[in-house]
Amino acid sequence: MADKQPACMTCGSQGLCGGKGLLTLKEGAWKNNPLAIQMLGICSALAVTNRLENSLVMGAALIFVCVGSNLFVSLLRNVTPHRIRMIVEVAIIATFVILFDQFLKAFYWDMSKQLGPYVGLIITNCIIMGRAEAFALQNPPVLSIVDGVANGLGYAIVLAVIGFFRELLGSGEVMGYPILSSEWYEANQLMILAPGAFFTMGVVIALFNYLKGPEPEENK
Amino acid sequence: MRSLLGFASGDLEVKGSAYTLGYAAVLGAACALLLTGVASFTAPYRRANADADRKRNILTVLEVPYPKKVSSEELVTIFETNVREEKSPELEIYRYVPSGDSVGKETVAVHFEGPGLWGPIRGFLALDTDMRTIRGITFYEQEETPGLGGEIAADWFLKSFVGKEIVDASGQAGIIIKGGGDQNALNEVDTISGATMTCDKVEELLNNVIEKIVQEKN
Repeated sequence: MADKQPACMTCGSQGLCGGKGLLTLKEGAWKNNPLAIQMLGICSALAVTNRLENSLVMGAALIFVCVGSNLFVSLLRNVTPHRIRMIVEVAIIATFVILFDQFLKAFYWDMSKQLGPYVGLIITNCIIMGRAEAFALQNPPVLSIVDGVANGLGYAIVLAVIGFFRELLGSGEVMGYPILSSEWYEANQLMILAPGAFFTMGVVIALFNYLKGPEPEENK
Repeated sequence: MRSLLGFASGDLEVKGSAYTLGYAAVLGAACALLLTGVASFTAPYRRANADADRKRNILTVLEVPYPKKVSSEELVTIFETNVREEKSPELEIYRYVPSGDSVGKETVAVHFEGPGLWGPIRGFLALDTDMRTIRGITFYEQEETPGLGGEIAADWFLKSFVGKEIVDASGQAGIIIKGGGDQNALNEVDTISGATMTCDKVEELLNNVIEKIVQEKN
């Protein structure tokens, strides 16, 4: 892994992110995808993906919160007392989640009603806490932002894929526009309900792992 | 002093208690301040949205026609031209009187609320002008278990109320929600299997408001 590390696209190996930008991005969004590989944040991924629009907003929320919390946890990492670091992380995460929730309630009321409690529940999303604890605490701010984008994106992509297929098969629509005509396609209610989420999720995880290929032997 | 504050500590060294407490206080205050600011900034927008949402629910239950994609301001205008709010000591009543080019029938909506299984349930009951036949019902706020009690907000359950009467054949007021009941009875609605508790609560809060409607009428 260390010998063929790709250079960072934006800063060319020596900038603020120490040349690890691209690698971090790839790691979070693809190789170590929080949903499909690490199996984190499954709850919300199953709950809000009955429509593509909901999935996209939820993905955006996660990117926003993950970037915000990673940035601040990283900025404060050298002054935060080790003993209360997790409380600090939760406080920062909760602040960003409530910010997003308030934004939705003020300007996207319908979306806020549809997502219901799941925006607030991002506070307990393992992905965000995990990135703060595993990455932002040890890395500089810019690289932590990249990591936040990467993991948020990894979550958002999987959510969008699940949301796309559930909406398409479950109601014959994509983003509310009819695609599969009701004349020849009988919308499958099961895809809208919880079991449909499990099936789709399973297929997506299987595909993800198939495309990624088998885990290479640990560096020896 | 140095050991108390622990400023000189390296990464792994434990910082002093005073520092930790101070740090927590400053961080907490900063977060609280930020959120308070944002909440008071968004408050008017949120209130306007909640108000428009409520009006939309009243328009829907009264079957007042309105465009699907409509801004909050337009919605308020439609509401104010079509719906009359009526004052009554016990009830919150909204009356739709079709005029000119508007379609639909004169309908009366009564607000109801009460405790559900997990949280408050609020909604509107729409009645014919005889104050007896149900034209529609909505629950605009409920926190029942999704898939079970949450089904009270599902179309099939709401539709099962349409055409029912709030008074039974013998003149006794009240609506009954029960399983395997007489579906043809004027005041009986089929229950939701697996959501007995929620249905009992809904029945209770509906009957509270029905009692008041009947009293009002007499």
